[in-house]
Amino acid sequence: MSKRWFRNICIMLVMAAFSAGTALAAGTVSVGHLTDFTGPTGGVGAHYGPGVIDALNYANANGGVNGKKIEFETVDYSYKADRAVATYKKWKSGLKPIVIQGWGTADTEALVRFIARDKVTYISASYSGHLTDPEGKSPRSKNKAPYNFFYGPSYSDGCRGLVQWAAEDWKAKGGEGKPKFTHMGDNHPYPNAPKDACGAYAEELGFEIMQPIVYSMKPADTKAQCLTLKDSGSNYAFLGNTSGSNISLIKSCDTVGVETQFLANIWGWDENGINAAQAAGDGVAWVVGGTPWKAGASDNKVMKAISDMSAKSADEYRGLHYVRGVCSTMFMVDAMKMADKAGELNGPGIKKAMESMQSYVPEGLEGVCLPSTWTSEDHRGTTLVSVYKSEFNGGDFKMNKQTTVEVPRRPEWLGW
Amino acid sequence: MSLGSSMRPCGDYRTTYASDMTIFATPVTRYITLAFIALLFLVPFVGSPYVLNLMIQIGYYGIAALGLNLVVGFTGQISLGHSAFFGFGAFASAWLSNSFGVPVFFAIPLAGVLTMLVGLLVGIPAGRIKGLYLAIATLASQFILEDFFARAGWFTGGSAGAMTEYLTIFGFSFDTDQSYYYVVLIYVVLIFTFTSNLIRSRDGRALVAVRDHYLSAEIMGINLTWYRVMSFGLSALYAGIGGALFGHYLGFVSAEGFTIILSIQFLAMIIIGGLGSIYGTILGTIFMVLLPELMEWSVNLFSGSYPDLVQSLAYIKEMAIGLAIILFLIFEPEGLAHRWQRIKAYWKLYPFSY
Repeated sequence: MSKRWFRNICIMLVMAAFSAGTALAAGTVSVGHLTDFTGPTGGVGAHYGPGVIDALNYANANGGVNGKKIEFETVDYSYKADRAVATYKKWKSGLKPIVIQGWGTADTEALVRFIARDKVTYISASYSGHLTDPEGKSPRSKNKAPYNFFYGPSYSDGCRGLVQWAAEDWKAKGGEGKPKFTHMGDNHPYPNAPKDACGAYAEELGFEIMQPIVYSMKPADTKAQCLTLKDSGSNYAFLGNTSGSNISLIKSCDTVGVETQFLANIWGWDENGINAAQAAGDGVAWVVGGTPWKAGASDNKVMKAISDMSAKSADEYRGLHYVRGVCSTMFMVDAMKMADKAGELNGPGIKKAMESMQSYVPEGLEGVCLPSTWTSEDHRGTTLVSVYKSEFNGGDFKMNKQTTVEVPRRPEWLGW
Repeated sequence: MSLGSSMRPCGDYRTTYASDMTIFATPVTRYITLAFIALLFLVPFVGSPYVLNLMIQIGYYGIAALGLNLVVGFTGQISLGHSAFFGFGAFASAWLSNSFGVPVFFAIPLAGVLTMLVGLLVGIPAGRIKGLYLAIATLASQFILEDFFARAGWFTGGSAGAMTEYLTIFGFSFDTDQSYYYVVLIYVVLIFTFTSNLIRSRDGRALVAVRDHYLSAEIMGINLTWYRVMSFGLSALYAGIGGALFGHYLGFVSAEGFTIILSIQFLAMIIIGGLGSIYGTILGTIFMVLLPELMEWSVNLFSGSYPDLVQSLAYIKEMAIGLAIILFLIFEPEGLAHRWQRIKAYWKLYPFSY
């Protein structure tokens, strides 16, 4: 028995080796898709990833890129930056994508140098401010990121918008003296990305900056951190993690009686969070990067058709992150179409097409996706920050739009 | 078990110590091994990049796994912190080349030496404690180093990780899989040859004696503390070189890549391959590197009829590793090396295996 078992393994290995080098059919265009379903950010990845996949399937069902089929491969890399780089290297010799839908900050920032060398356009779900300077001219830039794009306000601008809102909120509440501001997040490139940039702006707006507090991106009990926050007497705290760990943080903080107003990153709060945190999550302010499903997204014909690609029921509800996944992908598909028309369906061609977009909204998604502008010198697609607040409302949750803050587009903030 | 470890042909009596200690039992095995290595040098001319990528992975993991086998398989200690050494080597090499401009050619062995120093430090408790207590001590080193990677910005670039340069010699850059394959292959051949010889030496036999019966070994005049700590140092040296090769291959080293999971995978490699077997280490590494690829491939095969399988791929991958270890412990506790010998013996003695 054992011999046959050994032989079977050998045969399978040989077949695996042969099947690896399959060629792509003509008239197709390759797209890589990195996602996280199983890692620490899987909670939001489980919404965003299907948005990307549905949008790509929708594009293929509607003529692809001017008739060319989009051949895409989805890889769940569990939020491990080195796995993402390894996947990229594997793609370089197999799939050969000309554009990639990426995911996290650590891996996107690690890949900046690779994609710039290989001229592959990269649209990330990381909105790190470090990815916004294509020419590396800004003194704040660590390095230039010519082929990186993302949809929405950068993490830094998102946090600046929240701080700007908080300053108004402090005045409106009649607060006296300097309000105290705390940055909270894991020691990881993603929560760290807006830390200094946002802190500097908060200080400029008259906040007192407290010691940052570290809590894990993996949901865990965080009462110790909450006690630190309580002792600091912070009035406003920015949550840099994704919603999964924010739920446990907000619940822990509710337990120890923290009164701080939480401000959450674009990935930091969503329907899941509201539902899971119950009354403890009442009044969290956060950044929303697209129209919520019930506030109009579901009425959009294209969005509904994309959702129906995988919807299990006719009135399937789609989360905030799903909508952004779709928007990000449809910007890319439109850029691919433009590049194809210009006869340059390759990395540089798509980059050029993205950089030609002026207050652009993907075809048919008007009113759902944020109008975005990229130029060859500035990859901050938008600096308009929509601030929402969640309301417990006795269990019938609401997402209330507070305001749209326009964060100044200062040149020295490029790449920061 | 008449088909033991000795494959010595009938009538081949050893008359000198030298012939008793030869690496290759017969000239034929020597020629076959040399021919096989020569064949390996030809792989880049025919292999696809995918195959090369897998072989490079087998190379650097194999080197590190061999280091672990020295500690666990040959010296009989336990280490749950091997991936931290692997990571330390990767960061050390990146640090040396990025911060001091040390050429990568020298940075890789130097990183091995730096890692060895760390390994000697971690090995010190091994001089006094054994078994489960040692396991916990090495586990502690794993977590200490992991935390160090995430915070020591000057050394690792902190949580953002470190970029690495490509290996360049006289202006030639080893930046493709084809060229880097040779770098890894040469390191593999050198290190495996060195280890085969080490095991034949007094020091090597002392390690085995410590494993088999430490009390007897001590009575025979073997310094237990010295050899236990040395085995940790050596294993860290190998892990450091393996890690440095990994870092310069990938071009990027992340603080998150060297978790306890990787340590356990290293243990799985040597358990599946065969504890205390040098070529078993490589067999186990091949198994562990190909297992996820095989899972992915077979899942894709069925994905047409069961689309949900692709979503669960990640879970299946992790589960398969655990399942493989359990199955090996039950059905082949002596590893692939033993299985390979059984197969060789079967054909050699065919059809009269008794």
